[in-house]
Amino acid sequence: MEFLRRNRVLASTSVLLLLSLLLLSISVRSRPYQDPLADVILFAFSPLQGAARWVQRGVSRAWFGYVYLVGAHAENEHLRRRVAELESDVIRLGELEQNNSRLLDQLKFRARLQGEVRGARVVGRDPQHWFRSLIVDLGSDDNLRSGLAVLAPGGVVGRVTELGRTASRVMLLTDNDSGIAAIVQRSRAAGIVQGTREGGCQMNYLRRDVDVKVGDIVVTSGLDGIFPKGVLIGEVVDITLEHRDLLLSARIEPSVRLAELEEVLIVEPTVVHDPPAPLAPLDEGVEP
Amino acid sequence: MRWVLIVVLIACVGLLLQSTVLHGLVFGRVVPDVLLVLCVYLGLHQHTVTGSFGAFALGYLEDAASGSPAGLNACGMLVVFVIVYLTCRRLWVDNVVSKVVLVFLASVIKATVVVALLALFATVRTEWSSLPGILLSQAALTAVVAPPVFWVLATTGIPSHRERE
Repeated sequence: MEFLRRNRVLASTSVLLLLSLLLLSISVRSRPYQDPLADVILFAFSPLQGAARWVQRGVSRAWFGYVYLVGAHAENEHLRRRVAELESDVIRLGELEQNNSRLLDQLKFRARLQGEVRGARVVGRDPQHWFRSLIVDLGSDDNLRSGLAVLAPGGVVGRVTELGRTASRVMLLTDNDSGIAAIVQRSRAAGIVQGTREGGCQMNYLRRDVDVKVGDIVVTSGLDGIFPKGVLIGEVVDITLEHRDLLLSARIEPSVRLAELEEVLIVEPTVVHDPPAPLAPLDEGVEP
Repeated sequence: MRWVLIVVLIACVGLLLQSTVLHGLVFGRVVPDVLLVLCVYLGLHQHTVTGSFGAFALGYLEDAASGSPAGLNACGMLVVFVIVYLTCRRLWVDNVVSKVVLVFLASVIKATVVVALLALFATVRTEWSSLPGILLSQAALTAVVAPPVFWVLATTGIPSHRERE
């Protein structure tokens, strides 16, 4: 008994070991063995396990959500930068494409003109005149002189009025002081296209009995010795009687978008006795 | 008997963690055996009949919760308890490192006992080639969780009952 008392831990462990082996033997042999304690533990633990799972899922979602969010933020930043770069490229390429198209039109238009033609870039506009004059990057150093015709692929722009050494001022056809000898393309009725104070232009001094209608195309007549004959000026949009109903006046919509010009052609005046056909803008497709 | 309540409470929490949260962590197929750490603690500090009953209860609790044959883990826990009990009577196991090593070895022993009993009592098809890897991984994980469990037990102020034979 003394031995057992001194080794009670080992003795109890041995007994329990035997008990567990017996339990194991029973539970293995009588499978499926339903342990009553297992039911109790399952019943007691299942709500706690459910709660623990719920907390775990919440924490897991929050954590991985945060990790993914950090990754998504970095990726988002990267993609934003990339989009900005690509947008910049698209704008640059669009600009190049537009430049290319514009210059190509200009080249084609230039080939149709006679005499010396020089290309110039619009470098400024006169803010006091509400886009009724332009500054171009050619001047007296480029053998430019006052009075030269300024054209664009779309038609008449104006004429050179002031010269600097490296830049010149171009008076637009819509300027109040501008005057261009013109004819109605269809009926050949002659008049003068002048700028108006409102910033538009109109064809004045048309006889009352001439044949002119809204929608008629107006081109240069070449009689002023500045503009080549047959260059498009614009389209008649309105006709009114003026000078005590003796003369007609036709309001003209310029064919060139003057506010959007970027390049122009400066043309030496040429005396053309019988030009083959009036010059129409390339993109308008107006046939003489 | 306050320490019994504390051990039961920690065992319940450990079992809850083993069956839920620790499964969710990325350790592959292995889960640290928190109850084994408690068993090692009992073997180290509770040299009483209550200690051995505690080891049996821990194993039985594990059996009941895991659905394994009753007595399987109980047997393993008792083997661990008695080995730790005998070891700490001859070796000085009181610092953290030695306890961690002891838990690691205890885990290996328990797993070996469980596998041996399964081979002996049940016709379980076991992948013997993958067993050492799983066994060692589980032992390592259990050893990792051992220090915090020992720390919690130490902070509760459970008295140590060591008997001299």
